Amino acid sequence: MNTRFGTAAGPFLIWIVAMVLILGAWQMLVWLSGLPPYVIPPPALAFSTLFENWPRLSVLTGQTLYETAIGYVAGALIGFVLALAMGQIRVVQRLVMPALIISQAVPIVAVAAPLVIIFGFGLMPKLIIVAWIVFFPVVVNVLDGLASVDRDMLNLARLMGGGSLRTFAIVKLPACIGPLFSGLKIGATYAVTGAVIGEWTASSKQGLGTYLLTANAQMNTAGVYAAMLLLTVIGVGSFLLVFGLEVLATPWRSRSTAPAWAQWKPKQAAV
Amino acid sequence: MPEGLQPHSTAGCQESAPTKLSIENVNVHFGSVVALSDVSLDILDGEFVCILGASGCGKSTLFNVVSGLLTANSGRIVLDGQDVSNRPGQVGYMLQKDLMLPWRTVLGNITLAASLTRGATAQDRAEAAELASRYGLGEFLNHYPHALSGGMRQRVAMMRTIAAGRQVMLLDEPFGALDAQTRLGMQQWLLQLWRDLKRTILFVTHDVDEAIFLADRIVVMTPRPGRIAEILKVDLPRPRLLEVLTTDTFVGLKRQIMQHLYH
Repeated sequence: MNTRFGTAAGPFLIWIVAMVLILGAWQMLVWLSGLPPYVIPPPALAFSTLFENWPRLSVLTGQTLYETAIGYVAGALIGFVLALAMGQIRVVQRLVMPALIISQAVPIVAVAAPLVIIFGFGLMPKLIIVAWIVFFPVVVNVLDGLASVDRDMLNLARLMGGGSLRTFAIVKLPACIGPLFSGLKIGATYAVTGAVIGEWTASSKQGLGTYLLTANAQMNTAGVYAAMLLLTVIGVGSFLLVFGLEVLATPWRSRSTAPAWAQWKPKQAAV
Repeated sequence: MPEGLQPHSTAGCQESAPTKLSIENVNVHFGSVVALSDVSLDILDGEFVCILGASGCGKSTLFNVVSGLLTANSGRIVLDGQDVSNRPGQVGYMLQKDLMLPWRTVLGNITLAASLTRGATAQDRAEAAELASRYGLGEFLNHYPHALSGGMRQRVAMMRTIAAGRQVMLLDEPFGALDAQTRLGMQQWLLQLWRDLKRTILFVTHDVDEAIFLADRIVVMTPRPGRIAEILKVDLPRPRLLEVLTTDTFVGLKRQIMQHLYH
């Protein structure tokens, strides 16, 4: 866990190498299998389909991204607040934990149908599905973070005269930041799946998920792959965005001194 | 400095100081186990007292009672003439674990008490920076704790305890996790701090050499039940240099203590 994703130029290079490898494997599969393009389109065909249809696909991508982003933020917020409440009040934790586990055991696809019946074809069912997927890893990780605070540290805070609110803000809350981001990173890659499932169930507005279904029905395989590529970009992009935020939010993990804005400087004598 | 002003600076001259902290007939039992049996001790203002004993002798239990974290079954703790039993936060407290907050810089950790009680001000930070710089932490103020060695982190923890401003400081095996060389350096550093700042120190250790090197008086405790076996005065001149470790007085005291601990 120490190396994280390497430093400076390292991760960038690794990403390029990884993508070349994946595209290479895809191309090899096409060549070796000898399957026609309507079964497995070669990467070049998928990409050209993507660019040719970009005006339409960009709108669909925007829609799916919108559902993903709002659902993600809502799920993360709900998960974080719920975890703090559970961590602070033991009774809440005892009561809520079984419900949380059950919520994740129910197949998300099965949840989608009743949600559409209740909320209709609009944005709401998609948001709920995305949030449903995202909030759980956040809750579990933040709870772990709260539980990881050393008892002796809490005793010390008490001996220093710390009130419960300040102790919470200074000693407990920051201990959750790292675990929070662990949960957020897991959620970031899953969130887009939630949006697609939501669109598949029923949609009044077209997104990449609905496009996938239509393209599939029309034997437009290259279109299916183009949508798949875009969904992957959304997932990877979300992950990298969250990862970047994590690095900014936890400078103590990657640096030995505080960033410039947080450094203490002695007051200069007036000239 | 102080050594010039006090040519006969030994434990003896503390005799005239008033009593700072009294531990009065403290009893603690956990179920049928007697952790502390009728422990009484008066500590003078500005005195350095070491509590020495094997594990299980009740040293840490005694500290928890004095600090107010633990309620004794009977007895009381008196600080400056006031009963402070069960009132946490009257004395400073430091453990073997450095308990640094990893997301706070060295300076942020030193000013923790101010942050926890009323919010640290620019003046708190300036004073803490001045104090830390005076005792060798000046270039690390903006470092995160993980970037420091174990010894340096304990220095920061000590600074944090001092900055909390309590006159009496309880130090529970603060150097227990450090290697022998670092520990010697820390002991000398602590003695310098203590001389400059004139705090009263109650220091728990199981290291006989450490106790003799640091203390005005050594309280030897024995286990089952935890009680005070003997209180010894350390008649070694101050400031103490490393040479005292091999003097006859030192070795004599050590022999005396070992007999209590191992017989």
